Amino acid sequence: MFRYRLSWAELAWLGHRLSGVGVLIYLFMHIVENATLSFGPEVYDWTQTLFRNLPVRLGEILLMAALVYHSLNGLRVVLMDFWPATTRWYRPLTYAVIVTTVAAMIPLTLIMITPYAPWGGA
Amino acid sequence: MNVGRRIWPVEGDPLRRNPSRAAKARPAEPGIERFMWYFMRLSGVVLVLLALGHMGIMHVLVQLTGQEINFAFVLERWGNPFWRIYDLLLLVLALIHGANGARIIIGDYVVRGGLRGLLIGILLAATFVWLLLGMFVILTFDPASAPANIGPLS
Repeated sequence: MFRYRLSWAELAWLGHRLSGVGVLIYLFMHIVENATLSFGPEVYDWTQTLFRNLPVRLGEILLMAALVYHSLNGLRVVLMDFWPATTRWYRPLTYAVIVTTVAAMIPLTLIMITPYAPWGGA
Repeated sequence: MNVGRRIWPVEGDPLRRNPSRAAKARPAEPGIERFMWYFMRLSGVVLVLLALGHMGIMHVLVQLTGQEINFAFVLERWGNPFWRIYDLLLLVLALIHGANGARIIIGDYVVRGGLRGLLIGILLAATFVWLLLGMFVILTFDPASAPANIGPLS
């Protein structure tokens, strides 16, 4: 995986894989967590209390970042696969994906961290 | 085509495949691999809307409106067939999309045929079981009986 010199291009590809695997692992856990719905409200509501803490919330912010990046980079891949002429803009599009992900995560992080932030008052 | 310092694709070098493609170039032969190539891209575009919409509701809108995700929240949501179909579609597409991605990654890094087959077999079996579990939970949820703590498995 790290046998060759990394460029932004290879980082974009590696990031797509890592974020995809991360979201898949979360999805398997998420399905189990939601299966407690089938045991009625008491079991489900107790399970949900396990998710209301800072470490889990930080994980959810990471999940959001993974999903935003995987979505934008995936759209770039689809664009370039179906309209090969756009490969001409390979580098700017890759940079745009990274910049947009970071820009989107700034307000999203501020919103999601609210209950644990000084301004949240939890 | 010269892209900056580097020329893509580097033909015949699997370590320097064209990273503009998340997986591989479109398989020339019709068949399951070519079908999955199209599936990944089409489901991907749909999942951008479904998954980001889901995250936007559950993690952003819920936070902004000061709500809490609990049984009552799910009860109200799944009382509406739209959200049940939405969640069912998201479950099926995301799980198959993710499992196929993982299958491709296993294929890239595990070279030994036997071990590769075993890992992919475990992945597909787990995906099938989790798919059934998720569909069971969504489809058997009964808004009429669930509030009285009598879920299908309680």
